[in-house]
Amino acid sequence: MTGPAPRAHPANGLNDVVHQRVRLGILTIAHEAPRVEFGYLRTNLELSAGNLSQHLGVLENAGLVTLEKGYAGKRARTWVTITKAGQAALAEEITQLKLLISRIDRAGPPPE
Amino acid sequence: MTTEPAYPADDPRRLLLDTRALAQRARRAQRATWFPLLVLAAVTFAATPVYLYGGYQATCAAVPGAGPLGAPGRVCLAYSDAQLAYWPIALVLAYAAIAAFYIRRSWARGIETRVRPYAMAGIIIAVALTGAAIWEAHSPPVRPDMGLTSLGLRLAAAPVAIGLALLVLAWAERNRALLVLTAAYLAVVLAHFSFGWVIEPGLRWYFVPRLVIDGSILLLGGIGFALAQRPLRSPAP
Repeated sequence: MTGPAPRAHPANGLNDVVHQRVRLGILTIAHEAPRVEFGYLRTNLELSAGNLSQHLGVLENAGLVTLEKGYAGKRARTWVTITKAGQAALAEEITQLKLLISRIDRAGPPPE
Repeated sequence: MTTEPAYPADDPRRLLLDTRALAQRARRAQRATWFPLLVLAAVTFAATPVYLYGGYQATCAAVPGAGPLGAPGRVCLAYSDAQLAYWPIALVLAYAAIAAFYIRRSWARGIETRVRPYAMAGIIIAVALTGAAIWEAHSPPVRPDMGLTSLGLRLAAAPVAIGLALLVLAWAERNRALLVLTAAYLAVVLAHFSFGWVIEPGLRWYFVPRLVIDGSILLLGGIGFALAQRPLRSPAP
């Protein structure tokens, strides 16, 4: 007779695309608004334009955000919208992080 | 020598804290609660000439029990066509201005607000409640308590439409302070709470306490939010 299957470690549930500080930040901000502009993300995440573009590309390829290019007068603008998959991935990441924290808290401090 | 941060950058606790801080900042950047409150206060105060010069009509009917000692009597429901026309027009224009302001601001700040549900809800509620008020005003009263301050007229009044739409704005902005203000505003409006300031119905200025109290709550709320939401300026170097 076998006992109950051991619970998977919460770290295994983390999505590599989302579990990255900048990409998690992008999804978090995009989740709060219908659309968010590239410049807002760059300022608030304190990133260079190239670095932010790379992270947005990863999220777009994973289907977690959509990018929309347009103009405000003569200024080019890129608007970012979180997709349903992005919202689900963000919610899952937050759940896994909370599980991880509670597991760390239950385990107590590491031995000296 | 280097100092280690309390939490490394990929520490789950640090990630969650950063996430919350970013979400809070994004919410604050979207809020412009002061603007709709000030516009709606202006719309309320601007109704003064309509109440003063708009004139009144009445729908009257014989109602059993409305006379002295329970005898049949006549009950009249007073209403103003000018007011019934003013409020939906003023509120639709106000919501259009509010929506335009939020859209302009979101372009400037780079983060959009969910203003469309608020503007749409505001317009729909204003038109629906005006329709209800028109229907009630033209329906002959059937009970002795159906007068100028009947519950039906209070529910269909423009300040209720303003309050219900503000609830939608509180949801759209995820703004607890606005929710509290709106609840207080609706309580005052529905209870006809006048802080002891009453002018006899029938006198020309009877409407002043109502407009001043309703408008002042919106005005003071707008000023309070304008102070709380003013842009934070970095200290001079």
